[in-house]
Amino acid sequence: MSAALPSADTRHVLHAAAQWLALMESGGASAEDEARLQHWRDSDQRHEQAWQKAQQVRARFAGVPPTLGLASLDRPPLDRRQLLKRALGIAVVAPAAWLAYRQLPLAAWLAYRQLPLAAWSADVQTATGEHRQLALGEGASLQLNTATAVDIDGAARQVRLVDGELALSVQGGPAMTLLTTVGLVQVSDGEVCARQYSEQCRIVVLRGVAQVQPMQGPALQLRAGQQVRLGEHGAGEVQPWDLLQADWRTGVLSAQNLNLADFLTELGRYRPGVLQWSPQVAALRVTGSFRLDDTDRILSLLSASLPVQVQSRTRYWITVQGRDNAA
Amino acid sequence: MSTTAAAPHSFHDLYRDHHSWLENWLRRRLDNRWDAADLSHDTFLRLHASEQPLSEPRAYLLTLGKRLLINFYQRRSLERAYLDALAALPEECAPSPEQRCMLLEALQALDALLDGLPKQVRRAFLWSQLEGLTYGQIAERLQVSDRTVKRYMAQAYEHCLLAEL
Repeated sequence: MSAALPSADTRHVLHAAAQWLALMESGGASAEDEARLQHWRDSDQRHEQAWQKAQQVRARFAGVPPTLGLASLDRPPLDRRQLLKRALGIAVVAPAAWLAYRQLPLAAWLAYRQLPLAAWSADVQTATGEHRQLALGEGASLQLNTATAVDIDGAARQVRLVDGELALSVQGGPAMTLLTTVGLVQVSDGEVCARQYSEQCRIVVLRGVAQVQPMQGPALQLRAGQQVRLGEHGAGEVQPWDLLQADWRTGVLSAQNLNLADFLTELGRYRPGVLQWSPQVAALRVTGSFRLDDTDRILSLLSASLPVQVQSRTRYWITVQGRDNAA
Repeated sequence: MSTTAAAPHSFHDLYRDHHSWLENWLRRRLDNRWDAADLSHDTFLRLHASEQPLSEPRAYLLTLGKRLLINFYQRRSLERAYLDALAALPEECAPSPEQRCMLLEALQALDALLDGLPKQVRRAFLWSQLEGLTYGQIAERLQVSDRTVKRYMAQAYEHCLLAEL
């Protein structure tokens, strides 16, 4: 970082070496090109040095076992913006929006607002494909779905969803508050499921009732079998939720006439690596219940029941495409 | 009366005034406070080594801290992908613990070398270097022309050469 920038001259030589190497590897170099390259290398010592350095770059990659190298270096990229943005709601909420919280009991509101960072006493996260259950004491329990991160403050009876999806159940104990980036949910006797999307959070009430306080707009009361999406600009419409369908809490991925693209997007949450599909198959329909403990099997079930072919370059790189355009 | 202006901030003052602020900032972006403490410590070490005169210490700390944070996440995501891939290998192909460690270090160095390349360029380059695909095969996979692949490869080589200076 502290080194001075390379001179224009140096950059020019490196640029030329890279161009030469790409030409030679392309398979399209003529005998004349090779003679010109030799001339370039001979004409200046720095040219030859740059050429040797470029060969060293190749050698470094050649020393890596291809499968392990590809799986780790060709992994899906990080979302840097998201990483830097990720923060407790307390740091990103505009002051005006906080007024809405006054509709909650004052004590809860003050607790959330004034909670020192050090009081966030526990952090739990699950890996991709992992499902975890936690007892929070005094009748409360928490389930975490795949790729989920939460902060838990047992003393304040608060759980903060940082990323992913959770289900919070409270029975016969003091109420719990669930914090999300776009609002609060209070549960005194019931179970709620919250899922964080990139800019929204979906709240589903699975049992009992819950008080939902969006960041803007009035509070709502939701009962079992209802769901709502919260965003920065408040709550969407309250919609029904099918309580009978099996879901991740029991290790099942359910689909009711879902298009394949949406189904694969869901499935992809549970698998590390890349899962992609061709546009031709996106609109095919999927119905069924699938066990999440073996996602490879779900993929093979798809290829058995739909006109699709599942190509795996590695276990971490899966493409679903139509049978007719498979190469 | 002293003739030299007082140093605006001694390192000690900077540490005292901004350390817990930086650690909290990192803490909100990390999964546990030990990593945050480590990264905050590393950030101050960098600051100490850089000997920059600071008019805006927090802005500068934040820039350093962000860089280290992204670095940290990148190394961690590489390590996870690597461990997953190791776990998927048949037992007879699995490397020894020592080889695993060396390989991870080599991969981390290559990952840092490729850092900053556009996604598509990086992918084309890896396919060529690791899988030995021809430019024509890469062009087909990426649905671009052979010329574009050649341009990608030259771009990747140049990037690596510059990074190694």
